[in-house]
Amino acid sequence: MTEERGASSSQSTPDQETRASTMAPDSVQAPATRPRERRAPRISETPPPPAPPPALQDYAPIIGKSQLNELYFLATAVRGKTVKMVNSTAVGGGVAEMLNRLVPLLSELEVHTKWDVITGGNDFFEVTKSFHNALHGGDYMLTQAARDVFLRHNELNRERMSFDEDIVVIHDPQPAGLIASKKDHRAHWVWRCHIDLSNPNPQVWEFLQPFIAQYDAAIFSSQAFARRLPIPQYLFYPCIDPLSEKNKDLEESYVQQVCDNFGVDRSRPIVTQISRFDRLKDPLGVIQAYKMAKKYVDFQLVLAGGGASDDPEGVAVLKEVREVIDDDPDVIILDLPPWSALEINALQRASTLVVQKSLREGFGLTVTEALWKGKPTIGSAVGGIPTQIIDRITGVLVHSVEGCAYQIRYLLTHPEFAQQLGRNGREHVKENFLMTTNVRRWLLLFRILFGLTASPSSSLG
Amino acid sequence: MAATAEEITSRIAKAPFEFKSATHLLRIEAERSSTLGELLRDLNTCPDASIFQHTFRTLQEHHFIKEGFSNDFAHWAYTECGAVGLGERLAAIDVREFTAIADLRARLETVVEDYLQLNPQSRDHLAEHPFYFCSAESVVTPTEIKATNMAEFVQGLRAVSIHSIHYHFIEARLRRHLETNDFSIWLKRDLGMNEAAVRLNKIDIYTATLEGVRRQIARILEGAVS
Repeated sequence: MTEERGASSSQSTPDQETRASTMAPDSVQAPATRPRERRAPRISETPPPPAPPPALQDYAPIIGKSQLNELYFLATAVRGKTVKMVNSTAVGGGVAEMLNRLVPLLSELEVHTKWDVITGGNDFFEVTKSFHNALHGGDYMLTQAARDVFLRHNELNRERMSFDEDIVVIHDPQPAGLIASKKDHRAHWVWRCHIDLSNPNPQVWEFLQPFIAQYDAAIFSSQAFARRLPIPQYLFYPCIDPLSEKNKDLEESYVQQVCDNFGVDRSRPIVTQISRFDRLKDPLGVIQAYKMAKKYVDFQLVLAGGGASDDPEGVAVLKEVREVIDDDPDVIILDLPPWSALEINALQRASTLVVQKSLREGFGLTVTEALWKGKPTIGSAVGGIPTQIIDRITGVLVHSVEGCAYQIRYLLTHPEFAQQLGRNGREHVKENFLMTTNVRRWLLLFRILFGLTASPSSSLG
Repeated sequence: MAATAEEITSRIAKAPFEFKSATHLLRIEAERSSTLGELLRDLNTCPDASIFQHTFRTLQEHHFIKEGFSNDFAHWAYTECGAVGLGERLAAIDVREFTAIADLRARLETVVEDYLQLNPQSRDHLAEHPFYFCSAESVVTPTEIKATNMAEFVQGLRAVSIHSIHYHFIEARLRRHLETNDFSIWLKRDLGMNEAAVRLNKIDIYTATLEGVRRQIARILEGAVS
């Protein structure tokens, strides 16, 4: 379970494409430069078959041969070692998405990596869902019954699973109790926490902390999520795969086709926010900012995402969004199915600016995606966004609707500055937030666990 | 008498230059400062590897930036504490003046201490976000690129990753405890290019990206034989 879900990971239904196609009423007088009629977006009604995972060599044109060679070198010391990754779900969510790419890449480097998923009944996943929310700071009363459910299912999984590998990596709190098997095996145990622990419910954290303290190391996605623990804690930023459908390079003709399908006019500036229709993503705030900025500069606003079919609140938010845009033909609302990665990629690439005006955020991988595409990006100073957006260097941070509106105006009228932000943003992602960077982090961690690295504190003097 | 361009170009180095690189994993340390007073306290107790991370290493992480503040302490003082004057003073610290972490730590402490003496009201002022101390655990990696003469050196310089430039040009002084860099040492010792070695040391790493630094080095060397 993770706090980070991309716009396309929510459940929705194929009939949404009809809704997306009926956004712009024919009665609205469109400017001469944009298509008068929005055509039906051609999105498949069913998910396409998954593409085969890329091989390491496929990343060479992106990160360079020297950095790829570095991965091969780092792997030599741990070649032949075995690793088991354990999480709570095989599909859906950021962790499964990440493991789908990480496991084959590590195996290609001859660090033989398996991925196992714990099982549990509804009672277990209800408890762990409550733990998840409580660890994010929500109110929760931890009962003995909940403790028992958590412990019983971890015990059942412990009996079912083997831990004969050299390294066992447990993802998130659900399987954390598997650490009880550590005493019977030679493996090094690592806890990889993907959730925000900066303000956890004390009862739940105090319950989990004794388990975590038995691991050999813990990994967090932000310095702010680290806790007081008697074990080393490492920083692994969430990452994107530059070769995934959502991030790979696209033919210009395809980008144009998607824009044509959605009625987005590429001859005029396009400002885009990609995110679920969720209050915490503040789509209404983005529309307010659009209205303020539109008095000064001409542009279109695209709000694209999913999540409005399975989530009652999403439906309500989408309805409100449609009401406040008041048939404005320059606001394009796209409620997309979860398998729209290519379309989202195309929309991001077609954008002049990307906005992520969240009120709260995990890491904000949609920001990473935009920066990777070299887009000048305006983001709220919340969650992991300031880690990615160094204000006025790799993007612009804002704290209000007014700030967002001003920065839209400024960046649209200062394209050279905006382009420099885009260039810096892409470099920042390349250095810190790519899948290959995380492969490097895992290899370094494995070496550290086997005592195969020296800290600068001992060598620099 | 100074060597001619032809002489320099045809020289074979006494020992080849082996390009290496370094890769790092970030460890989150226990120290976290919410005020400038706490920063001063934590600067005193944090591991050497934290001082290295937030001064030398941050230049590698942000190698594409040529504007703004030059180390994490300066950036935090400015953006999170609103202490512009302190930010400027911390940013003015040039890591190349230091060949030992202890000396760099002492300078950082002195700058913060002096600022707090002049601005005592800033000592307990709560920052927007805390400063989280991290440290870098490092592995030196070979690159298989070697140079035995100047042409090969320039070719190698252009081929290696930016991390390799950081390793040889910036981190080197901590390893060698000398106010110079691996490139200058080799060029002077093995190719007799004394003047170029000195010029390399004068490249301003704070007003250029590391790619820009790479280009400047290549230009200086090519200029020496043109």
